Amino acid sequence: MGKIEEKREWSAAIRINHWAMAAAIVVLIVTGFYIADPFTVYQGETTDKMFMGEVRFWHLLFGIFLLFLVIWRIYLAFFSRFHADWKDFLVWVNLKGLVNQVRFYLLIDKEEPERDERYLYGPTQSLTYLGLLAIIICMVVTGLILMGAGYHAGLSGFAYKVLRPVERMLGGLAMVRYIHHILTWCFVLFIPVHVYMAFWHDALLKQGTVSSMISGVLFKRVEK
Amino acid sequence: MGKVIGSDEYGRRVAKHYRKLMEHCKVNLDRIEAEYPEPFLNFKELLKERGVSRRAFLKWTSAMTAALMLPPLFRPVVARAAEAFGRLPVVWLHFAECTGCSEAFLRCSYPNVDDILLETISLEYHETLMAAAGYQAEQNLEKCMQDFAGKFICVIEGALPQGLRGQYLRLGPKGKTGIQIAKEVVSKAAAVVCIGSCSAFGNVQAARPNPTDAAGVGKVLGIKTVNIAGCPPNGVNFTGTVLHYLMFGDLPALDPLGRPIWAYGKRIHDVCERRPHYDAGEFVEEWGDAGAKKGWCLYKVGCKGPYTYGNCGKARYNDAVSWPVMAGHGCIGCYEPGFWDTMAPFEKPIDESTIGGGDRTADNIGLALTGVTAAGIAAHAVASAAVHRKKGEAPGKETVKAAQEEKHG
Ligand code: HEM
Ligand code: SF4
Repeated sequence: MGKIEEKREWSAAIRINHWAMAAAIVVLIVTGFYIADPFTVYQGETTDKMFMGEVRFWHLLFGIFLLFLVIWRIYLAFFSRFHADWKDFLVWVNLKGLVNQVRFYLLIDKEEPERDERYLYGPTQSLTYLGLLAIIICMVVTGLILMGAGYHAGLSGFAYKVLRPVERMLGGLAMVRYIHHILTWCFVLFIPVHVYMAFWHDALLKQGTVSSMISGVLFKRVEK
Repeated sequence: MGKVIGSDEYGRRVAKHYRKLMEHCKVNLDRIEAEYPEPFLNFKELLKERGVSRRAFLKWTSAMTAALMLPPLFRPVVARAAEAFGRLPVVWLHFAECTGCSEAFLRCSYPNVDDILLETISLEYHETLMAAAGYQAEQNLEKCMQDFAGKFICVIEGALPQGLRGQYLRLGPKGKTGIQIAKEVVSKAAAVVCIGSCSAFGNVQAARPNPTDAAGVGKVLGIKTVNIAGCPPNGVNFTGTVLHYLMFGDLPALDPLGRPIWAYGKRIHDVCERRPHYDAGEFVEEWGDAGAKKGWCLYKVGCKGPYTYGNCGKARYNDAVSWPVMAGHGCIGCYEPGFWDTMAPFEKPIDESTIGGGDRTADNIGLALTGVTAAGIAAHAVASAAVHRKKGEAPGKETVKAAQEEKHG
């Protein structure tokens, strides 16, 4: 008998983390591109304006948010009481499964390969999210270096002391900033694909993929 | 953290600390005056001769004391160290470079205290300035290394080419390679001060593709050097460092790249007079536009102040007359290692550097990829609809219903 079963897929912590990160990254992309290529604000007196100053303020504020969100996410991956999912980031290690999943996505195979129900992610997802996490960490590290170069006190000052060898290794502040800029494009490319794939899954598998990141619940068809 | 102390107690402790430091300076200067020979030129007389008033000299000591991050209390000590400046024997070596650093230090329209100070310097050996040549010059160098072993300062201008076992650079009557000479002199010196970005980090000689495999002195010899980076560096940063050495008998605190923190501790961008325009969002869009006339920020015409540590905005060049950003061209980052490669293009923001030439900037590549991604998504959506609908094989709503009905029925 066919039956639809509710399965709680995502804990509240993961959902909050996901949307906070999404919002932070969107703000960071927009403000970041302004910092990289600012337009001139012509109206008004210099003394009344602080446009770049404010954009930088928001960028740094959300940058620090992102720092804590990443720390929180990594903590959840190891210590979540709902589902510590660090192993889920390594599903792709089974390369055969990865190839099969890609075949499904490229419409070569019409059936989705059997999912290992122990893990939250399919093989391509696990690889992509691991890469994404790595890129976010690179952004946070390069961002903290750029921030520490201007603010020598407090958290960023401390982080800068620790990260200065990284700055040297990468070839100085200019290279750090350039890398920070290039990696921004990874997010610009990731977001549309990610959103599309969520809707695609939703449309194809009818499990409520999109709403699951809000409600936490995925609907699965079970056959008896 | 220790226990909280009142401001009286704090003041007393600070005063005590500085008194101790002053005592240390006095002992050290006494030692220098006893150990090192009388200066060749008398600094005070030279000042008078050049028409530098006592008032101008006092102003200079105040500025220098502040630049070295010492309280005004230390002005007399700085003045005394300036008089002792000429006692310190210096060997000045030139390797792969353009002598521009020496030129920048020595040629000025009218001399200021720093220039006169540099004039009193006891140059035992300076390839472009000494009268001696050939074997005689070589003898001077050897004599100095013997007489002042462990006491003289070795100043180096120029990078060391390592290719062909260093043979891209051969100097002197015996045709030694730069690396050989550097090794010999450095082993006897009390301290090694690299003047300019060439000796500090390799500079243009070491820029890609670096055909002679040139590098900075510290890297080639595997030693710690004081790096007065810059192309050219500011004379003040050199004299200040030597004054520090004379006063405290020790080198100033250095950053991880060997640059004295008192001079290279903040970014150009942090002490720039155009910074308020940066924060306001007022940028020079092209050379000579209205913004340029109003002195707006040079970020969009390529200023690299945000990536460069240095005190140009405070110390300025040519008797503190001006500096690049003040003159209207952005900083090109010449105080930083590898700046020819990492700071390019010099007149555009960094994100406009191209990858393999043409229009291939990171942003253009990114935009193209975004376009490809969007097209890919659209194609995939259409193809998915075709493939998964037509065959009706995907477990869509209808199929589920059908399956249920089948089973029910
Ligand atoms: C997804 C995350 C992020 C994106 C997309 C992003 C994007 C950008 C971009 C495009 C720039 C301009 C680079 C250029 O000039 O070429 C920038 C600059 C900068 N970012 Fe980020 N960023 C992110 C995360 C962070 C984080 C986590 C921090 C700090 C904790 C941070 C701090 C900075 C700083 C300090 C600058 C330089 C601003 C300045 O020099 O005034 N960013 N960012
Ligand atoms: S001119 Fe250069 S150093 Fe000055 S504020 Fe603008 S970007 Fe910064």
